[in-house]
Amino acid sequence: MRTKLWGWFKPLVEGLFAALLGFGIGAVLMLLWKYDPVKAYLALFQGAFGDFGSIGKALSCLLSQGIDACKETGVIYGLYELTNTLTNATPLILTGLTFAIGIRAGLFNIGAEGQVYIGAMAAVAASLFSLPPGLHVLVSILFALIAGALWSLPVALLKATRGVHEVISTIMLNWVGRYLAYYLIATALVDPNRAEKSISIAQSARLLPILPGMDLTASLLVSVLFAGIIYWILWQTALGYEIRAVGLNPDASRYGGIRPTRTMIASFVLGGLAAGLAGATQILGRPPTYALYEDLSNVMNLGFDGIAVALIGRNHPLGAIVAAIFMGGLSAGSNQMQIAAQVPLEMVRVVQGAIILTLAIPELLSIFKIFRRKRG
Amino acid sequence: MSESLAIQMLSIQKIYPDGTVALKGVNFDLRRGEIHGLLGENGAGKSTLTKILSGLLRPTEGKIFIRGKLKNFRNPSDALRSGIGMVHQHFALVPTFSALENILLGQEGSSNLSRLQMSKARARVEEMMRAGGFSVPLDARTESLAVGVQQRVEIIKMLYRSVDVLILDEPTAVLTPVEVHDFFKTLRTLRDAGKSIILITHKLKEILDVTDRVTVLRQGQNAGQIATPEATPEILARMMIGHDVLPSIEKKPTQIGSAIMQVSHLRVKDNLGLHSIEDLSFAVHAGEILGIAGVEGNGQTELVEAITGLRPVEHGEISINEKNIAGQNPRQLYQQGLAHVPEDRRRLGMILEFSLSENSILGVHREKRFHGWLGKILWGKVGSHTWDLIKKFSIVASDVKAPAKSLSGGNQQKLVCAREFDKQPSLVVAAQPTRGLDISATQYIRDQLVHLRDEGKAVLLVSADLEEIFQLSDRIAVMYEGKFMGVAKPEELDRERIGLMMGGVSALAAPVGEAAR
Amino acid sequence: MQECTVNFVGFLSLLWNSAPDLLRLALIAMVPITLTSVGEVFSEKSGIVNIGLEGILLISAFTSLWAAEVTSSPWIGLLAGLGTGALIGWIHGLIAIPLKGDQVISGIGINLFALGFVAFGIMAVWKSAGYHQAPPAARVPALQTPLGDLSPLIPATILIAILTWFLLNKTVLGLRVKAVGENPEATDVAGISVERTRFFAVIYGASLAGLGGAYLSIDWLSTITKELSAGRGFIALANVVFSGLNPLLALLGGFLFGVFDTLALWIDTVSELKPCLPFAFHNFVKMLPYIATLAVVAVAIGHARFPKQSGQPYRRE
Repeated sequence: MRTKLWGWFKPLVEGLFAALLGFGIGAVLMLLWKYDPVKAYLALFQGAFGDFGSIGKALSCLLSQGIDACKETGVIYGLYELTNTLTNATPLILTGLTFAIGIRAGLFNIGAEGQVYIGAMAAVAASLFSLPPGLHVLVSILFALIAGALWSLPVALLKATRGVHEVISTIMLNWVGRYLAYYLIATALVDPNRAEKSISIAQSARLLPILPGMDLTASLLVSVLFAGIIYWILWQTALGYEIRAVGLNPDASRYGGIRPTRTMIASFVLGGLAAGLAGATQILGRPPTYALYEDLSNVMNLGFDGIAVALIGRNHPLGAIVAAIFMGGLSAGSNQMQIAAQVPLEMVRVVQGAIILTLAIPELLSIFKIFRRKRG
Repeated sequence: MSESLAIQMLSIQKIYPDGTVALKGVNFDLRRGEIHGLLGENGAGKSTLTKILSGLLRPTEGKIFIRGKLKNFRNPSDALRSGIGMVHQHFALVPTFSALENILLGQEGSSNLSRLQMSKARARVEEMMRAGGFSVPLDARTESLAVGVQQRVEIIKMLYRSVDVLILDEPTAVLTPVEVHDFFKTLRTLRDAGKSIILITHKLKEILDVTDRVTVLRQGQNAGQIATPEATPEILARMMIGHDVLPSIEKKPTQIGSAIMQVSHLRVKDNLGLHSIEDLSFAVHAGEILGIAGVEGNGQTELVEAITGLRPVEHGEISINEKNIAGQNPRQLYQQGLAHVPEDRRRLGMILEFSLSENSILGVHREKRFHGWLGKILWGKVGSHTWDLIKKFSIVASDVKAPAKSLSGGNQQKLVCAREFDKQPSLVVAAQPTRGLDISATQYIRDQLVHLRDEGKAVLLVSADLEEIFQLSDRIAVMYEGKFMGVAKPEELDRERIGLMMGGVSALAAPVGEAAR
Repeated sequence: MQECTVNFVGFLSLLWNSAPDLLRLALIAMVPITLTSVGEVFSEKSGIVNIGLEGILLISAFTSLWAAEVTSSPWIGLLAGLGTGALIGWIHGLIAIPLKGDQVISGIGINLFALGFVAFGIMAVWKSAGYHQAPPAARVPALQTPLGDLSPLIPATILIAILTWFLLNKTVLGLRVKAVGENPEATDVAGISVERTRFFAVIYGASLAGLGGAYLSIDWLSTITKELSAGRGFIALANVVFSGLNPLLALLGGFLFGVFDTLALWIDTVSELKPCLPFAFHNFVKMLPYIATLAVVAVAIGHARFPKQSGQPYRRE
C-alpha cells in the first residue's frame, strides 16, 4: 500500500522539486539583473489566475444571475485571467499529447511543431468551401486531423523502412512544413485584402467564445475531450496496451505477439492527429484572429512547448492537461509580470527550460543520496 | 609461499551482495608454464573464481599470492599490472577499430594529445606474432574478422600488455572445430614460451587434449585436482557431477501419445551469425516431458527461440499438430496451441512496470473474451481472470493493479506459468522454469509441469539443472554444440553418463535407438 | 506583369556571373553550421548526443556579444562564446554522464532555456525588446581576400574541421573517444576513464557550437536577436547524420548548406528571374536543404555507423 501511494506521490514530489528549482534559477537571474523576483512571481501568479475573490464573485454571479447581468456589472471580468490561461492551455494539451504518446511508445516525436502548421492550414483550407454551421466546424476539424496525421506518416515510414531516427526526420519535416505553410498562405490561402494573413475562417466554421469579452471557446472542451480519448485508447484498448508494452519492453512485446512496426506507425499517427487538432483549435477557436498569420506567429512554438507540457505532465494525458494549464498560466501571467515588475516576459521560458533540464535526471530524488555518498 | 607457483589462491570465499554464496573456501594453484583446466557445471563457481583473480570482483575472504607475494586487486588494471589478463566470452573489443587499434587501446603510452605511434606498435605486435607462431590481419576492422580471429586479437592484446597468466573463459564456445585445433596449437606455443594459462571449460575432451592439470569445482567448492595424464573422462565426469543419488518425484506412468511437435533438420543461427543448431531432428509427444539437458550456450536458447517464433529458422521444419509453423509469429503460434515459459522472465516473460492484470493477458490481449464495445479491454473481466490465476497457482499477491515488479521472483514466475498454462496449449515449452526460485515455488512449478503431462500435453523442458531434468523427464536429450549427444530414458542414464555427454563425449551405445524413436 | 526573358542558358549565365559572390556568401553561411556539426561529431563519437546545439548557439551568441561589447574586444567575445559553450556542455555532460539522465530531454531543456534566457538577457542588458546591434568595436575584423572581405573565422573553421579529424583519427585521445562510444566496457577494462573521456568530448563539441554562436552575433550578423540561431543547431544535427560522423564530410555538408542558403536568397534578389518563377517560389528553394537532408539520411543511414552506445549512459556492473 505504501509503495502504491508513493507511486502516485513520487512524480508529484519530483515535479514540485523541479518547479521549485526552475523558479529558483529564474529568481537568481532576476536578482543578478536587479529585478525583484517576489514582485515578479506575485504578478505572474496574478496574471495567470487573477485573484480568488473576484473569481468567486464572478462564478456566483454567473450561477445566480446569468451571463448578461454579470457582463453589465463587469463582475464577469474576474474570470479574465483564468480564461486566458485556459485559452493558452488549449493547444498545448494537444501538442503535449503528441510527445507523450511518442514517449509511451518509446519514440521521441518532436514533429508536433510542423504538424500544427499543417493542421492549421488544413483548417483554414476548409473555409474555402461553404457549408452549414456546425457541420463546417466538424469538417474543418476533420481536415486538420487528417492533415496532421498525414504529416506524421513520412516519419513513421522512414523509420520503419530506412531506420531514420525520428528526431532527425521530425525536425526536417517541421521546416518543410513551415515553408509549405508560408507558400500556401501567400498563394492559395491568401487574404486578397490583407496580405499579412490567410483568408479568415468562415463564420460557420468558427468556435465562438463561451463568455462575452473573453477568448475562451469551446476548443478547450475539444482539447480536453481529445485528451480523454487518448487516455482511453492508451489504457483501455488493445492498441494502447500494445503501444505501452512496446515502449516499456520491446522484447517482451515481441514475445507477446505484438508487431512493433505497426504499433510504431499507430503512435505516430495518433500523435499527428493530436497536433493537427492543436492547429485547428488555434485557428477555429481563438478570437479575434480566426486566420493564420503569414509568419505563422499565432501557431509558432506550440509544438515545442508541447514537449515541455508532456515532460512536466509525466507523459500522461491527464498530466498533460494539468501541465498545459501550468504552462498556459506562465504565458498568460508573463505579460502581467512584465508590466508590474518590468521583468521581460521570456523569463517564463527560462523557468520552463530549467524544469525540463531537471526532469531529464532519472530518479531525481535519489540524487541527494548520490551526493551524500560522494561526500562520505 | 612457494615462489615456483605463478598463482596461489587460498580459501577464497565470495558472497554476493544479494546473499548468494558463490564460493565456499576454494583453493587453487597455478604453476609457471602450465595449461590448467578449470572444470565445472553452470554455477560451480568457475567464473566467480577467475573474475576474482582478474580483479573484476573482490573476494569476501581469502588470500591471493602472485609469485609468492600477497596481492589485493581493486580493478582489472591492478591485475594486469601483476601480469594477469583475462579473455572473456564477450570480447572486450571495439568492433569498428582495426585489430591493431584494439591491441593498442589503453597502451598508447604517451599523453592524450600525442600522435598515435602506430608503426612502432605494429612492429612490436608483428614480432610477438612471429614468436608465437600465429597471426591476425592488423588493419581490418575487427567486426569483419571471424570470431576465432577476434579471439586471437584478444589474446595478442593481453600479450601486448606483457601478461604471464592468461585466463580464457570458455574460449572454444565460439570456435569451429578447425579453429579449435589451431587455437590449441597457439596455447601450447604460449605455454612453451613460459606463459601460464587457465582454461575454463565444460568440455572433457578439451581438458584431456590440451591441459596439464585440472581443477574441478562443484557448487562453490573444490571437487578435486588431478594431473591430466591420470584423468579419464569418467573420473572427470564423476568429479564434476558428484555421486549423490537422484531424487525423483512420483509420476504416474502415462500413455505416451502421438507426436505433437516434430522438428526436422533444423538449422538456426545465433546472434553472432554462426550456426548454433545444425540439422537437429526430434519429436515431442502427447503425455510426455522431453527434457533437454546440457551446459548452457550449447544452442538451447536458440532452439527455444526458433520454436517459439522469436528467431528465424534458417532451414528445416518445425511442425505442431502436423502444421509447419516455422516463421510464424508468437501470436499465430499461440493459436496453434503453443505456450512458452521463457528463460528470462524479467526481459521476456513479463513487463515489470505493467500491473499483474496487464501481464496476465500479455499475448492473449487481442482475445475477444477480454474485449467489449469499441475494442475496450474489460479490465474487470481481466481482473477476475487474474484473480483466478492467482488462486489457481497460489501466487502471493494482494492487488492485481500492483506492478509485476512488486512480486517476488517466485511469484513472478508463477504468474508467467499461470498465464501460459491457462492458454489450453497442446505443447508447452518451458526454458529454465525454476531458475533462481525458492524451494516451494520450484516444487510447485515442477508439479504443474507433471500435471500438464498427465493431462496429455506435450512438454519440452530445457534446463541446466540436472536434478530437474531427472525429476521430470520421460526422456532426456543431452545437447552439446547444437546437437543431441543422445536421447534416453532417465533410468537408462546415470550422472556419469550425463556428465560425459554434457562434456561432449558420447556415452550411449545401445539405448539411443529405443528411446529416441 | 513582366515577361520572363530568361531561358535555361540565361539562368546559367546569371548564375555564373554571380558565382564569386555566391561562393563568398556560401562560405560565410557555412561557418556556424560547420563548427557546430564538427563539434557534435566529436561528441557523438564518444556516445554523447547533444540536441541542445540550437540553444548553445543562441546563448553563446548573446554572451559573446555582451563580453565583446563590455571589453570592446571581439577576441574576448569569441573566448566568451567558447566558454559559454563549454559550460553548457559541462551541464549536459553532468546530466548525461554521472547522473545517467536522458540526453534528448536534457537537450530539449537547453533549447527551451536558451529561448527564454536570451530574450530575457537582451532586455535585461540592453533594455531593448529582442534586438541589439553589435557596436563596431565588438565586431571581428575582416580579412581582405580576392573574394572580398571575409571573416578570419572562415579559414579557422576549415582548420578546426581538419584538426578535429586529425584529433579523432591520429591521436591517442581520438582512439579513446571512439572507444568509449563503441564499447565503454572495453575502454574501462583497458584502464581508461569513460567518464573523463566523455566529459572532454561533450565539452569540446559544445565549445565549438559556442564559437559558432559567437560568429553569428559578433561577426556575420553583427546583432543579437532571440531567433538569431534560426534552426542552425538542428540543421547541424542533420548534417552530423549526413557526415556519417566524419568531420571533413561535416565540413562539406556545412558548405552545401551554405550554398543552398545563399541560393535561396539569391533567387529572390535577381530581378530578371522574378517574372520567371511562380509567386512565392523561394519557399520551395528554402525547403530544399531539409528535403535533401532527409533524402540523404534515408539513403545514407544504411551504411552510416553510429557508435553502439550512442545516447546510452555507461553503468559499470
